[in-house]
Amino acid sequence: MKVLGIDTSGYANAIGVVDGNRILADFTFEARKDSLEKIVANIDFALKEANLTLEDIQGFGVGLGPGSWTGIRVGVTVAKILAFSANKPVSGVPTLEVLAYNARNIPGVICPIINAGAGDTVYAAFYRTRDGTVSRTGEYYVGDIQGLSEIIKEPTAFVGAESQSYCRLISQALGSPNIALEAVEGVPRGATVALLAAIRLEHGENDDVLSLAPLYLKESTAKAFVNRYSRSAQAKSQV
Amino acid sequence: MLVLGIETSCDETSSALVADGRLMLSNIIATQLDLHQKYGGVVPEIAARRHTELIGYVIKEALDSAGKILADVEAIAVTAKQGLVGSLLVGVAAAKSLSYSLRIPLIGVHHIEGHIFANLLSNPQIPMPHVCLTVSGGHTMLVYVHDYCQYELLGSTLDDAAGEAFDKIAKFLDLGFPGGPVIDKLATRGNRKAFNFPRPMLRANTLDFSFSGLKTAIINAFKHKIADGEVLPLEDIAASFQEAVVDVLVAKTLRVALQRKASVISVTGGVSANRRLREVFLDICQQEGINVFFPELSLCTDNAAMIAAAGYARLKQGKTDDLNLDVIPNIPLEVQGGS
Repeated sequence: MKVLGIDTSGYANAIGVVDGNRILADFTFEARKDSLEKIVANIDFALKEANLTLEDIQGFGVGLGPGSWTGIRVGVTVAKILAFSANKPVSGVPTLEVLAYNARNIPGVICPIINAGAGDTVYAAFYRTRDGTVSRTGEYYVGDIQGLSEIIKEPTAFVGAESQSYCRLISQALGSPNIALEAVEGVPRGATVALLAAIRLEHGENDDVLSLAPLYLKESTAKAFVNRYSRSAQAKSQV
Repeated sequence: MLVLGIETSCDETSSALVADGRLMLSNIIATQLDLHQKYGGVVPEIAARRHTELIGYVIKEALDSAGKILADVEAIAVTAKQGLVGSLLVGVAAAKSLSYSLRIPLIGVHHIEGHIFANLLSNPQIPMPHVCLTVSGGHTMLVYVHDYCQYELLGSTLDDAAGEAFDKIAKFLDLGFPGGPVIDKLATRGNRKAFNFPRPMLRANTLDFSFSGLKTAIINAFKHKIADGEVLPLEDIAASFQEAVVDVLVAKTLRVALQRKASVISVTGGVSANRRLREVFLDICQQEGINVFFPELSLCTDNAAMIAAAGYARLKQGKTDDLNLDVIPNIPLEVQGGS
């Protein structure tokens, strides 16, 4: 099954195509100011490089987040509207799971960590390897590193773009040499999204094309926006 | 030619099918009003989240209710300019996905250009050139419409939009959000001459507008009474405030029409639904021998049919976009057809 996977949770465009276990394309485009506006053009680029057209794609996968709220909205919208338009199934994959998959060969606990972009808040979760893939063992975590370190009781591999520094901070917080900690570098790859989506789709675990929504993990800070928001701010610089 | 329009610039998620820029086959508008009411204004993050949830449904509904399928659609038009960036991005992402998947042209439309076309969609007999006042909660502009997609921006608000003044006064008087409909309704039972509120920049030799001072004058006049627990004459305040706004909007538009010897005025945007504004325009234009047109009520506020109609006009002039179409939250309406 040929599946196209995308992840824009970190503002970068991660785009991959797999056919079963085979990776046909796997591109990551650096995050730039206009990355989100380029996602569809970059999908076209990736498919062309893989000698494929959109008609060849049998299903779509998308990283649901958590991450940049704007980024996951664009990724989810593109994936579900492409699926709707092509009349193909879609499956959303939590970006934390996409990251955890990078450490699937490591025994023990896998803890992907994503910077939440607000102060020292992070998104995290705990996974274990199962049947060649990973499965989550508890609730999602949203909070600071100190709080995260308090729930770590076993040898753990941290995964993510900033896993080295998070691993160091948690190690300091724990102060205990008895728990082995390690850091695994990793960013969400499009091919990984496609692979994990393909597994879901092959098991009939399709998401509803129209209602698919991002995984924000945080309520919008609505009240904070109210005072900052003025509709006339746009009109002021009209002339 | 069948154009599918998408509009997500603020707090309405909308999709529409329009044939040949004239015939509206569907115009689905999912309003988020209930989500924003308790905050007294549109909350951008809430709006963007809701657009993402609704976008697929409104597109499907626009097709279904028109009895069409995606394969019938020949171009996609989307609001790409002017609005909340997070909201615009959702509509544009959907539009690009459809354009790419269906291999049909993509047309980015300026939100204000959409409002100009809302009235053309309602009143196809509006000739070129004409004077257009487009006024809503987000903008207040006087535009000379030379021809399709050829505009001259004559004046615009320097601070609050006219509809925003309605919202802020309604909020001050604890009447809820949005302010336009409730003030319109209260004003019918009030005395328009009860209070002589300022008419900002009415006589100034400029076609720009300012509504912030009017708002402040009203707040200063009544805030102590509110603090003292006095019962305010809400109907009279609403009627007098509305009259001040209407006076300024009508006077400046009429001044342009006379200067340009225009025989037609188009009034569009959310505030063009205001009954007193329509009444005064009709009265004065009749005296002056000018034809004035307003969109049907469903096309006054933000909707995708107007975007599809504007997109069709742009497509006819070869003004299409590629998959790199930029989202620009804040940019003037292009003038004289320049791109």
